[in-house]
Amino acid sequence: MPITHEGLAKEFKWVTRPGEQKHIGEAIDPTDPIMQEMAYELIVGNNVDVDRLTREALDSGYSANQILDDGLLNGMAIVGVKFRDNLIFVPEVLVAARAMKAGMAHIEPILSASGAKPAGTVIMGTVKGDLHDIGKNLCIMMLRGAGFIVHDIGVDSSPEDFIAAVEEHGAQIVGMSALLTTTMPNMGRTIATFEDMGLRDEVRIMVGGAPVTQDFADEMGADAYGDNAVEAVDRAKELVALLAELRSS
Amino acid sequence: MADDKAEQGNSRVDTEKARASLDRLYNIYQDIAATADDVMQTRCPYKDAKSLCRAKFGCRNQFFTSDPTSPPACAGSDQIDYRSAWDT
Repeated sequence: MPITHEGLAKEFKWVTRPGEQKHIGEAIDPTDPIMQEMAYELIVGNNVDVDRLTREALDSGYSANQILDDGLLNGMAIVGVKFRDNLIFVPEVLVAARAMKAGMAHIEPILSASGAKPAGTVIMGTVKGDLHDIGKNLCIMMLRGAGFIVHDIGVDSSPEDFIAAVEEHGAQIVGMSALLTTTMPNMGRTIATFEDMGLRDEVRIMVGGAPVTQDFADEMGADAYGDNAVEAVDRAKELVALLAELRSS
Repeated sequence: MADDKAEQGNSRVDTEKARASLDRLYNIYQDIAATADDVMQTRCPYKDAKSLCRAKFGCRNQFFTSDPTSPPACAGSDQIDYRSAWDT
């Protein structure tokens, strides 16, 4: 079956490298119209329709594997190509990631029920006084892609917001972001509040953001520092493993 | 009948295949993160493809039009460090 969805066919035209045309084209070509529509709605960042289409597909008997491969992944593959080729930018990528999350919200429980465990639970937020969220949002996208359950508490988050989220979701990891040198100290204040509340041993805390360094993270008593979104995932995996080791000993 | 089909569909999970799919998704995200690191050196990450500002905070480069429903346009030059224009 060729690409029958008009919008998706147009989006596919942005894929110009022969290898990618073959790889992505062969993945899309045999898919059903509902999967093509899902891929298209993900590319344009329509999380409401991705949510609806995922539910409809499951109700119609499509497997979680099919939806993941034929709908969601095909869409995100084109998003990746368009971003690399400067056709879209970070805001468009993040709305596509939000649409991916809307679809995955239906897929993840099915995968979990079949034995695929999440990598861990993370609370992510930008610290008090800081409204900059791009770095945090990219980290969240990466962490979700790596199989973590992530609860985003947003920007301007007080120590109490982080603590309440940890207690509500039973998270093992807290990730704090700051962009401003003036708000960086609030990372230390948040860590101190975890200590004051007797919760410091319950979680592992990682920090990041443009002005944050390993030295600053050490000085504040953070457990890990990530220089970028990929490193944030690596550090989160290490911290989950460390925490599991500590709890089992 | 439809419920039977749905039940069948939902229970048909190939965990190995799902793992491979999630690995592929992570690879796509890794490429996106690497591109983002490069792009953010020269272009404000809050500026979308239509040069509209998607930040939820103020910035000197925001140019509000008469359309109240539209986000502000970005009037910043990508030749200079955009971060100094952000409100703190």
